[in-house]
Amino acid sequence: MTLLVQRSDVGEFRRRYRWLALVVVCAFLVLAGRLAELQLVEGDVHAAQARRNIVGEITLATTRGVIRDAYGKVLAANRPSYNVYVVPGDIDLEATWPRVVKLMGLGDSERGELEKRILTQRSDPVRDKQQMLLKVDVDRDVVAALKTHEATLRGVEVSPAPVRYYPYGELAAHLIGYMREIDPETLSRLEDRGYRAGDQIGAVGIERRWESYLRGQRGSRKVLRGRVRGTLDRDELEAKYLEEPRRVQPIPGRDISLSIDIELEQAIERAMRGQLAGAVAVVDVRTGRVLAALSKPSFDLNVTSGGTGKKAVRDAFRRLYADPLKPMLDKTISAAYPPGSTFKPFSALAAMESHLLDPRDRVDCRGGYEYGKRYFRCTGVHRNVNLHEAIVESCNTYFYRLGEVVTIDPLAKVGMDFGFGAKTGVGVNPEARGRMPTRSWYTRRYKGFFRGGYSLLAAIGQGATTVTVLQLALAYAVLANGGTLYQPQVVRSIETSDGTVVQEFPPRVRRMVSVDPGALALVKDAMAGVVSEREGTAHHAALPGVDVAGKTGTAQVSHVTPRGVDKDRVWYFNRDHAWFAGYAPSRSPELAIVVLVEHGGGGGKNAAPIAMKVVEAWQKLKAKRLEARVSIQPSVKRPGSP
Amino acid sequence: MIGRGAPGTSRGVAHVDMPLLLGIATITTLGVVNLYSATSAYVDSTRHARLADIYASQIYWIAIGVVLGFVVSAIDYRHFERLAYFLYAGGLVTLGLVFVLGADIRGASRWIQLGSFSFQPSEFMKILLILVIAKYLHNDPKTEPRSLVDLVPLGALTALPVVAVMAQPDLGTSLIYLLVAGAMIAMMKIRRSSLIWLVLFAVILLPLLWKYGMHDYQKLRITSFLDPEADKTGTGWHAFQSRTAIGNGGLFGQGFMQGTQNQFGFLPDQHSDFPFAVFAEDWGFVGGMVLLSLYAFVCVWAVHIASQAKDRFGATVAVGVGAMFFWHAVFNLGMALGVLPVVGITLPLFSYGGSSAITMLMSLGFLMNVSMRR
Repeated sequence: MTLLVQRSDVGEFRRRYRWLALVVVCAFLVLAGRLAELQLVEGDVHAAQARRNIVGEITLATTRGVIRDAYGKVLAANRPSYNVYVVPGDIDLEATWPRVVKLMGLGDSERGELEKRILTQRSDPVRDKQQMLLKVDVDRDVVAALKTHEATLRGVEVSPAPVRYYPYGELAAHLIGYMREIDPETLSRLEDRGYRAGDQIGAVGIERRWESYLRGQRGSRKVLRGRVRGTLDRDELEAKYLEEPRRVQPIPGRDISLSIDIELEQAIERAMRGQLAGAVAVVDVRTGRVLAALSKPSFDLNVTSGGTGKKAVRDAFRRLYADPLKPMLDKTISAAYPPGSTFKPFSALAAMESHLLDPRDRVDCRGGYEYGKRYFRCTGVHRNVNLHEAIVESCNTYFYRLGEVVTIDPLAKVGMDFGFGAKTGVGVNPEARGRMPTRSWYTRRYKGFFRGGYSLLAAIGQGATTVTVLQLALAYAVLANGGTLYQPQVVRSIETSDGTVVQEFPPRVRRMVSVDPGALALVKDAMAGVVSEREGTAHHAALPGVDVAGKTGTAQVSHVTPRGVDKDRVWYFNRDHAWFAGYAPSRSPELAIVVLVEHGGGGGKNAAPIAMKVVEAWQKLKAKRLEARVSIQPSVKRPGSP
Repeated sequence: MIGRGAPGTSRGVAHVDMPLLLGIATITTLGVVNLYSATSAYVDSTRHARLADIYASQIYWIAIGVVLGFVVSAIDYRHFERLAYFLYAGGLVTLGLVFVLGADIRGASRWIQLGSFSFQPSEFMKILLILVIAKYLHNDPKTEPRSLVDLVPLGALTALPVVAVMAQPDLGTSLIYLLVAGAMIAMMKIRRSSLIWLVLFAVILLPLLWKYGMHDYQKLRITSFLDPEADKTGTGWHAFQSRTAIGNGGLFGQGFMQGTQNQFGFLPDQHSDFPFAVFAEDWGFVGGMVLLSLYAFVCVWAVHIASQAKDRFGATVAVGVGAMFFWHAVFNLGMALGVLPVVGITLPLFSYGGSSAITMLMSLGFLMNVSMRR
């Protein structure tokens, strides 16, 4: 039957075949052209992309330089810790991710947040293969668990990232400084220096100032990414696909040796225990090196540096910044205070230099000094005092008279010669300039109106005069060493991680101050008397065997109570600052010391004992080290220690 | 076996179309070898270990397909002509069964499970559609250009399976139905005014289809093709990696089982959607051109066979099979090369899949059948 059916005519189709063949040929020509374009014309581009797909780079962390004190004691070092990274483009969100969550014990909210970040980065074709920081400083158990399952957790990387560790915690915290996570703005500025999001960067102190030395340079290692069959030889594949250099070694940061003596800091901390707030600076009068600098209250560098987690950092900062005692302020460098009577030696030098006052002349102190319509009070009734007695007993009346005679500008000139009113150039932490007021300053400040009384106040270190603790210590160092104003130094040397000294910093003289030796001798004799003479303001604080010369100070504070202070505690903030500035030993001085007890009251009663204790401790340390050096040959001595 | 099917009408073993046979055999062999390379990356993969062995099952499917192909070529095609309507009706019923018995895979129900064996009725429907359209054209007495009204029955025959398959949803297969039917219908003379109407219809229908007929993931494939930068995670990402793999092949290729895009797992669905990317990465431009030429040859040869056919049924079946082969190849290659959007259309005899391989080989059996009985 089939064969009998009417045969349909094939003629109708005849003209179509040519067209069909043409369509086929054209279509395949287009495909062939595209194949040629992809493989021959753009081949290099695609080959490069294919290579980028399989070659990944793993960051090799560097170790930050260690900060040591003058005797090799470690002040800042690194402790091992592990960070977990994911490569958003590689991780399997259905299979791998839930396992990671479980192994790391992430909470639901944390998980959701991280998942969102992974998805965002994954959709960015430029960054999807870059490591994304998942969590810092994970527990050892988690590290172990992740390491065990490493082979099956594609796109998850656990890499060591040492965390900064400060063995002395709060001690000399302001000077040493701490680390913080780099913020986006700084990052955009420093990106070409190899910083990345999530990096730690020195926030204050030495950590900040010497960041570029301490930091080091991270290395990298090329790895094969993607699913590699276990049956293939991984080494062979790596040799084939990874270009040299396959590994760039990280360069560890430079170590830094400070001039600071941490044991002296410890002694200072002990001596300051009875006081709420204040600052102490000790400098070597022969070099200008800072031997100790302590600001109180302090804070724990391990907390602020993030070693205890981000939340702890946030809480700590919130608390620290709310504290009216200003724990975050470096009171040795970044804050200026009225020096009070500790300025008197400089006033005395100014008077003798101008020959307007004979040191033997006496002024009768009856508890104050009348000038114009005002009565300027003294601390007591000192009767007839000459310059020596006026310094020893801290008689204001004498110095009011002195101020009246010398006038403000010569006072200011001597003050500026000794470094007041200008930055010391210590280079660590923002420095307060302090103020050495002149006639023109007052004129400008008070709209052309200058009162003679300002000179009187300037002579006793009150009025508009302010100094920093470090400035005062350096100025006393000038008194002690006979005229050399040093630039203070905190860093002694820079070393490589194996201990080779790269750079040493010799003492730097800022200026030679011209002082009349006779006048200086007179002043120094008086300052020795402050401690040694029965009438001396610091005599009660004197310790047997501790030879200190100096000057006490009790500086009135402007009655501005910081915000947020309890009504019951306002009295504290109205109390005078207690000062002691001096040097030791008095005959052949080695160190200059300044003690400031904020709102401590009388300087002789509150600041001087601290200074005595510190000097006593310093003497003991010196003796101990001398003994150690005699008994053991210094064969294992670190470079940088004296 | 060949030539023993219908004595008197068959021209026997001597009349086997050797160029066609050789072409198909070469493509099939290359396809299996390539599948081995494509899935070798899964050896000792914990989640996809099963995939490493699929080249073996593909060989079974091909064996079944070859046997069925020879069987089909041995039976005079005019027997199929007689049965065309019944077969077509049976195919439609099976397509309907998918919705009742269908196994849900990736949100689409395309498979029917028969014991441990699952098959895809929409694949076999392609052959039945070709047969039924050929039958209609064969019996169509008209010689003058067709009007729109004349095309209505053909449109209906095509539309039924198209709608059924789109409901699965399977955009790729319904597209193949349309294009194959279109190619066959294009063999007839059609009035110019009717053609204009058809084009107009299409223009009106396309936006409606976009709005109501397509799923979001299907739309995404199109949009990501039109704007590759917009989506580098999903479909656009696949297409991007495919282009990279092909380009990575260069002139001579990376070598068998050496393509890094494939071996390191950057090609998704390399065994089903992107076997050509694997092939071009392994064998380069030289290998790619050989394969393109083979596909082009089979297509052109199908046209040649059609032109030699002794009746309209034979000619249209040959055109239909050729068109099916052609559209599959062009769409899959175009998608791998990044000139067409990613639609799930397999590469004939290269992509993994039992139903697909068997359908292809069976339909090529029809081609052989026509060739042997000219």
